[in-house]
Amino acid sequence: MNLKFLVVDDSVTMRRIVVNSLKNLSYDNFVEAGDGKEALDKLTADSAINFVITDWNMPNVSGLELVKSIRCDDKLSKLWVLMVTTRGVKEDIIEALNARVNNYIVKPFTPQILKEKIDTIINA
Amino acid sequence: MKQVSSMSELFERLNDLKIVFRYGQKMIPIIQSLIDFMKDTVPLLEDINTSISDTTNKIPKAKDQINNVSSQTELATTEILDIVDSISDDVEKFDKYIKEIKNKEEEKKKTWEAIKNLIPHSSESEKYINHFESLDIFYSVLPSMEAIFNKIRDDVYKITLSLQVQDITSQQLAAVNHLIESVRLKLSSLIIHLDETDLTSIENVKLDIPVGSTFDPDAVYTKSTERQEAADLLINSINNKATQDEIDKLFS
Repeated sequence: MNLKFLVVDDSVTMRRIVVNSLKNLSYDNFVEAGDGKEALDKLTADSAINFVITDWNMPNVSGLELVKSIRCDDKLSKLWVLMVTTRGVKEDIIEALNARVNNYIVKPFTPQILKEKIDTIINA
Repeated sequence: MKQVSSMSELFERLNDLKIVFRYGQKMIPIIQSLIDFMKDTVPLLEDINTSISDTTNKIPKAKDQINNVSSQTELATTEILDIVDSISDDVEKFDKYIKEIKNKEEEKKKTWEAIKNLIPHSSESEKYINHFESLDIFYSVLPSMEAIFNKIRDDVYKITLSLQVQDITSQQLAAVNHLIESVRLKLSSLIIHLDETDLTSIENVKLDIPVGSTFDPDAVYTKSTERQEAADLLINSINNKATQDEIDKLFS
């Protein structure tokens, strides 16, 4: 399956770590965004993106708002969205699931978890 | 009759006044000691006010220092990631070279077998052939070389993953900064209303996280898989794979 990832995080470090992890899993097609607003711009401009990996706490447009915007947009609503965040409390996870993220990873993540979640999402 | 009543009322009032005066006389030392106490207390209150002022003035500097720590750590992390990427690239290049050498060695081995068949058999030639073959250590060291490269690759990746700590600590520092700012605002209000503010209210400063904040005050760097397991259980519960009891147990 051809996957093109959009990695969204305001931390440059985290974006590089996620991208390196994707490379390690033999994925080589990805773009990056520093917040939800930039992510929406990139999604609108690039229809080849089919998988979004996003943080929650970000300036301008948060990860949660990004997910809600994606789900409300007819052209984007089918995108796969994986949330990777430090927020690990029950209420937050429920909120993200209600916003219809496909899956959820609590930072710090391991490569096994990342692989497992990507596989679960694309095989669902 | 009314006059008599007015007079007795007057005496009653005078008596009341007398009691008040007597009471006042008794109160004078108390009031005096209160004035003395106030005289002693005012400089103390001024000291407290000055101290709060000083502390409040230092807070922006503390915030700047924390911000500096965050940006310097991010810079250092970026430098580490650059080095890590460079090591990874080198490892990949080595891996590519080894594969090329391996291919050539296969070819070399076949060619050598052909040459060996052309060499006339003698004890002398046998000796040289054996010695020549003993010098070829490539295949004996290859597994060790590949194991070392794989270990370097794994270690480098582990370093990369450990650097997630930078993102998590920067969120924790942002939360501390937010708390410091809340304390500063509280102290500022104390300076203005010192005489009418209950000092214990400083204890009530809470970390109220504004909506849309870019940090998570509960961010934790841990190798424990507990939080992810709890999240997974919650996700599974949507598909009825986990019971509410199991979820509550993990999140409690």
